[in-house]
This record gives sequence, C-alpha cells and structure tokens, in this order.
Amino acid sequence: MIQWLIDNWLKIAIPVLALLACFVVGLWVRRIIDRVFERWTVRTKWEGSQFVVKTTRRSFLYWFLLLGAFIAIEVAALPAVSALPPKAESIGVKVIGSLFILSLGWLVIILSEQLLKLYLPKLKATQSTITLAVNVIRITFIVIGALIVLQIWGVPTNPILILIVVVAIAAALALRNAAPNLFAGFQLSAAQQIKVGDYIKLETGEEGHVTEIGWSNTHIRGLDESTIVIPNSRLLQHTVINYGYPLKKAKEPFYFHSRTHLTELTGFKARNLQELVDILKKMPDTAIYYHTHHFLEQHHYLTPEPSNDFAVWVNDALGDEVLGERLASIDTFAFPNLEALKERLIGIIEEHLSKGSNFREVMPGREFHFAKSVSVILPTPYVAHDLREFVEALRKISLGSLYFHIFESRLRLGKGLNDFSIWIKDSLGETELGEEIARLDPYTYTLEGLRSALIQLIEKRIK
Amino acid sequence: VGKSTIEELRLLAAKLSGKVIQNINSTFVGGGVAEILSRMVPLLQQLGVDARWNVIKGSDEFFQVTKKFHNALHGRQERISAKDFELFLETTQKNLEEIELYGDIIFVHDPQPSGLVTRKKELGKKWIWRCHIDVSHPNEEVWNFLQPFVIQYDAAVFSAPGFSHELPIRQFLISPSIDPLSDKNKELPQETIDTVLEKYGIPKDKPIITQVSRFDYLKDPVGVIQAFELVRKSIDCRLVFAGGTATDDPESDKVLAEVREKAGNNSDIHILLIPPGSDIEINALQRASTIIVQKSLSEGFGLTVSEALWKAKPVVASAVGGIPLQVKNKFTGLLSHGVPGTAYALRQLLTNPEYARWLGENGREHIRYNFLITRHIRDYLLLFLSLDHPGDVIRL
Repeated sequence: MIQWLIDNWLKIAIPVLALLACFVVGLWVRRIIDRVFERWTVRTKWEGSQFVVKTTRRSFLYWFLLLGAFIAIEVAALPAVSALPPKAESIGVKVIGSLFILSLGWLVIILSEQLLKLYLPKLKATQSTITLAVNVIRITFIVIGALIVLQIWGVPTNPILILIVVVAIAAALALRNAAPNLFAGFQLSAAQQIKVGDYIKLETGEEGHVTEIGWSNTHIRGLDESTIVIPNSRLLQHTVINYGYPLKKAKEPFYFHSRTHLTELTGFKARNLQELVDILKKMPDTAIYYHTHHFLEQHHYLTPEPSNDFAVWVNDALGDEVLGERLASIDTFAFPNLEALKERLIGIIEEHLSKGSNFREVMPGREFHFAKSVSVILPTPYVAHDLREFVEALRKISLGSLYFHIFESRLRLGKGLNDFSIWIKDSLGETELGEEIARLDPYTYTLEGLRSALIQLIEKRIK
Repeated sequence: VGKSTIEELRLLAAKLSGKVIQNINSTFVGGGVAEILSRMVPLLQQLGVDARWNVIKGSDEFFQVTKKFHNALHGRQERISAKDFELFLETTQKNLEEIELYGDIIFVHDPQPSGLVTRKKELGKKWIWRCHIDVSHPNEEVWNFLQPFVIQYDAAVFSAPGFSHELPIRQFLISPSIDPLSDKNKELPQETIDTVLEKYGIPKDKPIITQVSRFDYLKDPVGVIQAFELVRKSIDCRLVFAGGTATDDPESDKVLAEVREKAGNNSDIHILLIPPGSDIEINALQRASTIIVQKSLSEGFGLTVSEALWKAKPVVASAVGGIPLQVKNKFTGLLSHGVPGTAYALRQLLTNPEYARWLGENGREHIRYNFLITRHIRDYLLLFLSLDHPGDVIRL
C-alpha cells in the first residue's frame, strides 16, 4: 500500500491540490461576494435582500467544491496523469453535473418560495393562494431539474416530455370551466378591487358582505344570512358595486318582519253622527287603527292620499265639509297610543254635535260600516347587522314590512317609536340618526316616498 | 307583483300544510264565482295548499228558486212560496246524502249550498260561508230563512263592508280579484282587437261606451241604454252591451229580449251575446272602448269594473255593492247614482279625455295593489289561518 502511494503520489496529489485550490478560491470569492452583498443590503432597503444573501451564501461553497471535484477528475483523467479510466471519469462528471443541477434547483425553489411569501401577502392573496403558488413553483422546478439530470445520464426524455404535455392538456381540459375562474381569482387578488369584508352588489342581483375570496369562487353573506358562492369570472364580467369596508356592527341584528292584514267586519253601521260617535265609543282600538290607517296601504300610490275613513264619510256621505276637514286634520303622528286618538275623534264629533251642527242621516247604502284589522306578522328573510345591510334590505322589503315597522309597531303595538329608530339608537348607538328617523312624519308620505326618505337619511349618514 | 309578495304567499301557504280546503258551490262554469274558483284553486294548489272544488247538484226548478233567492237577497221583490223553501231544503238534503265532506276547512260559496252546514255538528271541522252577493238590503223573508244556516258557520266572508250584518259569528271582508294573466285581462295586440270589432260589426269611427255584464235585471241594461241615449243628444258615440248567460241563471234570455227591444233599430247600439269562454273577445271589446260603464242596481262585487280599470280605462259605475271599493270617486273613476248621473259622468269623460286618462291610470294602480289575484289568495290564506287564531294580532 505504502509502495503504491510512493509510486503514485503525483497522480493523487495533483487532483487533491486542484480540489483544495478550488475550495480556497471558493472561500475567497465568497468573502468578496459577502462584502459586495453586505454593501448592497445596506444600500438597498429591499426587505428580501437578507434572505437572498443567506440562501446563496452556502450554495457558493458547494458549487466551488463541485468545481474543484470536476477539475480534479479532469486532471486525473489526463493522459499524462492517467489516474482515472475514461469510464470512471464519465461517471464522475455526470455525478458532479447532477449534484450541481440539484443544488441549483434547490436554490431557485427556496428563493422563489421566499419571494412569493414576501410579495403575495402584500397583494392580499389568501393563504390558499400562496400555498398554491408555492406548490406550482416547486413542481415546475423539480420537473425541470429531473429532466436535466435524466438528460445528463443519457436517459431519453422525449417520452417523459410527451407524457407531461398529455397530462397538462388533460388537466387543462378537465379544468376548462374552472380556468376562467382561476384567472379571475388571480386578477381579483392582484387588482384588490374586492376584499374580504367589503359589501358588494352585482348587477345580477346578488349582494352581501364578502366573507372569502377563493381561487375559483368568492363567498358573500347575503341579506338573508345565506352564503352565496359567486364564480370569480362573474365578478369580472359583470358590473359590481363595492360599498367598501363593513360599518359598525350592531349589538343585535335587525330582523325585518312583514305585516299583512285581514279586515274583520263588526256588523255595526252608523247612519248619522250620533250613531257614529256612540258606536265609536264601543269599538276596540283595532277598529280605530283600521279606520285611521287602512287607506295608507290601500291608496299608497296616490298623492295626495285620501284622508281617514271618518273624515271621508263625514265629508262625502254626510256632506259636512267643516267636520270633515277637522277630522281630516287630526295629526295621527302626534298621538302616542290609539286610546288617545280615539278620545280625540270622539271629542271632535261630540263638540260638533253639541253645537247642533249636524243631525243629517245618510242615504241608504252610504252608512259608515265599522271594521277592524286582524294583523298577521310574518318573518322575512332579511337581516341587518350594520347600516349598509340595513339600507340595502330597506330597498328590498315589501311595503307591508315597511308599514309594519313604521306605523304598526309605533301605534298599534304601543312601542311609541318606530322599530327602525329603536334599533338604530339602541343597537347601533346612532342616536342622532335614530332621532332623525323618529322625527320623520310618515303620514305625510306615500309608502314608496317614505322608503326613499329613509334610504336618503341612512345613505347620508353612511357617507 | 314582486318577489316579496310571492315569498309571503309561500310562507302563508306553508302554514296550512296538511289541511284540505274543500270549496263547494253550485256550478263549474258561468258567473263570477265559478270564474274565481277556476283560477283560485289551481293557484292555491301551486302554492302547496291542498285545495279542492266540488259542486252541488240541483234540478232546473231548484236553480230557479235559488235565482229568486239571489234576487231577493239583492233586495229585489220576489214572490217566494213555501214550496220554494221546501224545494231548497229537499235539494240540500239530497246533496247532503250525496256529497262527500272531506275537507278540514269547508268553504261554501253563496246561498245555494249554504244548508250543507247542518252536518257541522256531526262532522266538526271548520266551516266558512263565502257570500258573493250584495246582502246589504236583503229581502227579510229569505234572509231570515238563510240566517239559521249562516250562524252555524265559524265565519262568514263578504265582498263589501255594507254586506255584513250583526251576526254572532266572525265576519271578514275579502274582495274578489282579477287574474292579470288570464285571457280576459292580458295585453292584446291591436290586430286581435280590430279582428274582434270586425267580427261583431263595430266600426271605430266614434267613441265606444261599453258595459260588459250578464243579461240580468240587476245590471240595469235598460238603464244603460237610457243613459246612452241622453249622452247621444250632444255627443256622437256608440254603445256596446256585451253579455253572456250562466247555467244557474234561467232569467237571462228574458232580459236579453227586453234589451233588444229597447235598443230597437239604433245602429249605434250593439247588443252582443257572447258565448261562455270568449274571454279574449271580452278583453278586446274592453280594450277597444273609450269608456267602460257598469250601471248595476246591485252588485256582488262587480269584477268587470276591476277588469276595466286594469286596462286603464275610465270607468263610470254605480255606487253599489263592491264598486265603491274599486272606484274611489274622482280618483280612480266616477260613481253615479242613476241614469242622469251616469249620462252626466259619461259626457264629462268624453269631453275631457285628459281627465279620463288620469282616472284610468290611477284606476290601474288601484287594481294593481288591491284587486289582483295575489291579494285575493293572500286574504284566503289569512282567513284559513285566522280560524285557529282568535286574536287581533297573529304572529306566524
């Protein structure tokens, strides 16, 4: 063994020296590069500079070692040295080439991942988006690296390339419907026009708060608290109104109800003022409510609306315009409850009778028929957690719902204030807006006019 | 009518799940009740309500008696003998033996089948009497005969407030309605309208005044011709009186003959006997008209007024029955109380087309919100639900 070393020391020493020389040069080059990078990181304020330096630092040493090994093999294979047979040289070069490609691939993958993780969150990409992008990068470079390594070892890569192309085409075909949504998802992430928490409204009618933006779909919570899944491509193809970030959340959500009614006839009828006032005294509050309110729903499209039933009857059937005017001018809005309203009606008629003003009887068929309303209160799908949801629901609810929360709850259910004002003040803490709505006299509007006035007040507050 | 209305109907219908609503009347064809039921029952079924429809059987004599009852309840003088009442009771008894009363809610329409309620004590269930007739000033004899039946029901339903009486049962107001998508009310192309006018030989050279109603004394066809003749003294125009007959109305041929006689040879008066089912023709005649008149002496409700208003036509109608509910005087049409008043209102509209147009447009809106079939279905659903909820506020 010793004799063999003595005989061949030159053949061993030359490659080893070449390897060591390369290692030393590598250390020296890395030092220079370190200084250059150090100056660069100080000069530039790019936040990615640190990890670029850290990641590439170790790789330089590996690459110089590989370079040294390559030179050593080539030197050992020289005819003058002839320390390696040609076959061993060929294998050695291939191993070194493979190691270099794997090392380079690993570096590219690490750098790409770091860059994606640095920049995608800034684009408000979701975690799923980041994970997908990292995986795509990994797979791409691993495949490229593997193909080069196979090429180095002389393995034919054409069949593998064809296989990859076929798989890619099959995947593209399978995902052809999803593809537009995926691209749209990228665009949405990049453009940041829609973000989680925004309130959006599509021209196709869907609306609500954005709860999740995924690769292919965006999820929104509708006004009925249902989750609506919208393909991302639709968000790009259609006009979308984005009202922006959510507003202050209410302590309790507002559940919209609707109200409809059935008219119950009492069978009582009045032919003159005395009978009217006598029966009026016996009538329940629901009859007072009916005769002072039902025209609001029945003739809500008319401006000006006809007056309450008592005024219309006194005017048209009895022909007493003076009393008709007095009854028509009763400001229903000023009364906190139906009992007080009833007393006022009775008071006006009795005062009129005490003056001996009207003892006429109406023609047969024109009697005043007392009725009362049976209210049926129904849930609606609409729920509001903030003012944006509230105002959007307000645009959609039926007139029966609007009527219930404004008129019926205040007077018939005896709350003294409309439901909207109560919620806006107590649950949202928007005292000023709540009082502004409470001051609105709903009896001076048509129902659609009232809806518009409420929407304007709330929109003004939101802005 | 909007999504919210349909959602509301579905919600109400769902609350009636498992209940069978059995409608009973006297005829499947002809007249307002059959027309309403033929629309209403399928729509209730579409909403998931198990609504069904049966008719009672009766001889021609029975229907002659019930026609007399009908007229008497409307306030007309009729000679009704003890034999007539007996025939009514006998036919009721026969029907009680034959008809199967299977509904959870038995919904009886008009006086003809009203006596079926005598089985209520035995069967239980909820019973509703739906009165489509103007009983505001009924013949006392007939009303007293029917009232013992009526008060056995759980509730009675009337078409106008004036029809109610002091009764020991709950009474509800439910107005009838029109179906805007039916042949009688849907939009028509001008060619169809022209074809119908041509078919009946009605030239378009003058304003057309039209009354659509059965040949029935209560529709006052002679009064319509009298009012028309008063108008014609100063304004050149045509009158179209288009009517049909119903299987339960044996009197209509006699009325038609009288109307023809009154019209005489006046080429501007067109008396048209329209066969049942000619809804598109009725629609076309209404749409071709300048003014629609409904000069009834008494009305169950007067749906032809709603049909005319839905077509945005100015309407002159008598202030009877349910007509004042549809025509808010000077807002959605003009109300009249006699032949001269009708003629005066017609002249006003013929000479003020802008005013006539404004009334017609208001009228259409009034019908849209208050007299379309969706409102009617809602009221019926509420009625069925209210039977189990005696209070004034029902939370569903």
